[in-house]
Amino acid sequence: MAKKIGSEALGRFYKEGSKVRTRREWRGVKDTAYDFSRWLVIMGTLGKFIIKPRNMKAMLRYRWMANYLAVPMMVDRHTQGLRGEYLRMCHAEQDLIIDDVAKLLDKLFKGDRRIGNDEEFSKKVVLVDENEMTAVMMGFPMLEALSRETPSTYVPVLLNQHSMEYYMDIAEEFGLAPDVCPMPEAEAGVSINDDAPVLGACAIQCNTTCDGSLLGNGVISKRLELEDGIPVFQLAAPLRHREDDVQEYAAQEIRNAIAFIEKHTGAKWDWDAYFECAKRVNLATRCRQEWLDMNKTDYPQVFGSNLALYTETNYMAICGRVPAFAKVDRKLTKLAEQAYKKKKMMAKEYRHRAIIWGVQSHYYFDFLLWLVNCWGIAPLTDMLSMVSTKEIAEVDTPENREQAYYDMAWLTENMIMRNRTHGGYKVLLDELWDFVEEFNADMVILWEHMSCKALDGMHGMFEDRAREKGVNLVWVEHDLFDPRIISRQGVRDQINNYMRTVMREEPLDPSLEVLPDDQSW
Amino acid sequence: MKKKCNCCKLPWWSKLLIATTGIFGLLFTVYFFNLDMKLTAMMEPWLLKWYDHVDRDKHL
Amino acid sequence: MKDLKHLLYFENLLLEANNELVAQAKKDKKVCVAFTCESVPEPLLNLEGTFSVRLRAPRTGSMEMSTYYMTSFLCEYTRALLERALEGGFNFADCVISPDGCSMMNRCVENMELLKTMNKDKDKFFYEFMEIPMKCDENGLNLYILQCKNHILKPLNETFGIDTSEKALRKAVENHNRICELIRAIGDFRKEENPRITGYEFHILTLATYVAPHYLLIDKLEETLEELKTREPDAVNPYRVRVVLTGSEIDDMDYVKLVESCGAYVCADRFCLGSLPGRVPIELNDEEDIVTQVCRHYITHSQCPRYMNMAKMTGRRDYVNELAKEYNADGIIYEQVKFCDPWAYEKMVGGRVLEDDYNYPVLTVDRPYSIDSGAGQMRTRVQAFVESIEIKKIQRGGING
Repeated sequence: MAKKIGSEALGRFYKEGSKVRTRREWRGVKDTAYDFSRWLVIMGTLGKFIIKPRNMKAMLRYRWMANYLAVPMMVDRHTQGLRGEYLRMCHAEQDLIIDDVAKLLDKLFKGDRRIGNDEEFSKKVVLVDENEMTAVMMGFPMLEALSRETPSTYVPVLLNQHSMEYYMDIAEEFGLAPDVCPMPEAEAGVSINDDAPVLGACAIQCNTTCDGSLLGNGVISKRLELEDGIPVFQLAAPLRHREDDVQEYAAQEIRNAIAFIEKHTGAKWDWDAYFECAKRVNLATRCRQEWLDMNKTDYPQVFGSNLALYTETNYMAICGRVPAFAKVDRKLTKLAEQAYKKKKMMAKEYRHRAIIWGVQSHYYFDFLLWLVNCWGIAPLTDMLSMVSTKEIAEVDTPENREQAYYDMAWLTENMIMRNRTHGGYKVLLDELWDFVEEFNADMVILWEHMSCKALDGMHGMFEDRAREKGVNLVWVEHDLFDPRIISRQGVRDQINNYMRTVMREEPLDPSLEVLPDDQSW
Repeated sequence: MKKKCNCCKLPWWSKLLIATTGIFGLLFTVYFFNLDMKLTAMMEPWLLKWYDHVDRDKHL
Repeated sequence: MKDLKHLLYFENLLLEANNELVAQAKKDKKVCVAFTCESVPEPLLNLEGTFSVRLRAPRTGSMEMSTYYMTSFLCEYTRALLERALEGGFNFADCVISPDGCSMMNRCVENMELLKTMNKDKDKFFYEFMEIPMKCDENGLNLYILQCKNHILKPLNETFGIDTSEKALRKAVENHNRICELIRAIGDFRKEENPRITGYEFHILTLATYVAPHYLLIDKLEETLEELKTREPDAVNPYRVRVVLTGSEIDDMDYVKLVESCGAYVCADRFCLGSLPGRVPIELNDEEDIVTQVCRHYITHSQCPRYMNMAKMTGRRDYVNELAKEYNADGIIYEQVKFCDPWAYEKMVGGRVLEDDYNYPVLTVDRPYSIDSGAGQMRTRVQAFVESIEIKKIQRGGING
């Protein structure tokens, strides 16, 4: 028990066969008091949510709601070993995300025909895909852009590694081949199992991230449109997003999507609101660039899960529409600058500087923190955080209104992960080595999501290039949502084996090498 | 005349202080020993059994 | 039935990717345009001075090299193609045009490019990647037209000096239609109660039109059609049931043969590299330019599961139902190559819809690229399916659907 970074054997909190940890960390008086205060706030958020009768009703109706019992533990996993500014950064992000998801759930259940059945509210709801940039909603402040998949499949896996096994099995029971990506598979399973809230004036589905999303959406829209009577627009963003000759098509898709929303909701596009959101998008971009620039130095500050999870949420799901995220962007930057000036470090030692590439294992998002704590590997950036750095037009002029369609199209095409897994080998393969140089990294940790064919298809070329450039390349296999295929320990062992046999190193914290967390949330 | 108990003789602010300290202590104990998660972990299997009995229109 | 005169010839053609007709066309100084997906409009690849070859890898054995590059998680078709390319089996090609259709095909061709499999000693070799629409609408059509111009016609013209004028394109479509009409006329014999052509024979003929220059095939196809007009079927129909075979690409000659050896006559071939809709003639008018008309034909007729708008999704299942009615099918077989994502989903939904909503007996299977490695299992599945259809027919008094 100590306030000094790395002074506690963090593996001691795990107990064989247990879902939860034996206790929380003692981080010294100041940091423990801070963490405790944030725990109280989270409890308050959760309490305010569950006290509403309709939310309790939803809790008893939807199987995936059970995973929200694990919310505080998700925060504990992502704050493990953190002190000072890093702890505060993590809480700033996580607490906001928790609050945002609680509001999302509340609204979903308010309009859900099975739960709140608020028809007037439902008429203002546009359902959006989980794997979709919400750029098309930037000019509709009077409408609610709600995602059913985010709280029913995406967030539960962050909370509980086993959460989606049930739904994947349902999809396979209905004949889906098990080699497909578990994410759309689970989403399809939720739909098949009648476990998706039913509400909304219309829905926008998108072909991002990949073939799997595109096809899984077909399963969902079959029910949504043909049975529930909610019209669906499929937003088809081009795959070859770096090419000039697809941009007009992409912009027209955005125009068509906006026209569809206007038709089915009666709302009118608001340019003032759009450009306000655009300003926030640009702020987020600038902040992220600053963090990444800091990460290129000897004292990276916003990295690991602090960078990855927040970027995914802010860039994709929020897309400038929620002012609270702009406040947190500024707060994170301030904390980062503060820590940078004092040359602070997240772990007692950084032995390696790594670029994390590929699609992360969703059931083990805090793996990035484990890398730092166990082996002193600083995950400077990851593929999902290397998104668009282009600033979009933010001043309302006639030219910018036309440009706005291209900007929204650009954002949609450059959705998280998709901007790398699609668009040609340059964005996936070639640019990785540019980042290795820019960030002065000596290691690449490559997530091999075995069902991600777009990534797996470049396996050999990654190996060949790593050899050419003399970069340590560590493959970490996983199956995204399914820990039955490769468990968290299986993921850790791939690093452990590499570090011991190839790098001939001993861990910073040996208690973290092998953890009995098979049954854990 | 009934005698006041010792705690009733205390001024209101010290009663508040004691109550606050007690609540703080309790909450901190729950927080530090992870009792909240231990409780919800016990609740989960019951909840999952409940879901098995909910009527659903399961189809493609 | 008496053997078709040219069947052996066509079978032999299909034993090699670089078959004798491809070699002949190369000798005739024609540019070989290799392509990998039905979404690349074939007529635009068969202009004066060019001929198209849809890549396939017959008699594929091991795929070790391609598995190293692409891992065992990707579909075998794409790995087989890369393996063949690495072995030098596609060195006859002068260019490759591939859509960014499915991720796996895209990675396959990207690996071919990065590993310089076909272009080592060729100055003019090019790889083109097209963006193809995922919805059948006006915006998708405009995209398709632009992509065809930028990634097919322009590079062919600039690199090889190929004439891509309206006149040349119209001629190419007319030639393409001639092949389609021949194949469709031959295919119509499958509607007969006791058909005079087997599904296997028909598949051989159709497959040949994808992998050999059309101008060198046409005579033999015409002769075959004439021969069929007078061919006598077997006195007793050897097949017990009739099936529509639908799904992902089938370029393995032995697959349809296996299905038919179990007593299931493949009366309609609704798969990639089949005739439906791959050999539907393109109707031309005089009002629009050729590229627009070709693209419209492809976008409206395509049955590829990557088309994601609702009309296309429901349309795919309706189409299978229409084919089953037109060809008097008793059942449907949905097949996918192992690890094919698009068809994994389409097979699941299509199989259920055709069974639950349209009341067809449906068999859903996944298969290896080359059926040799899974023949026993496949045979068992199909035989059981045939028996189940027969039992259902008896129970329903011979009425289906």
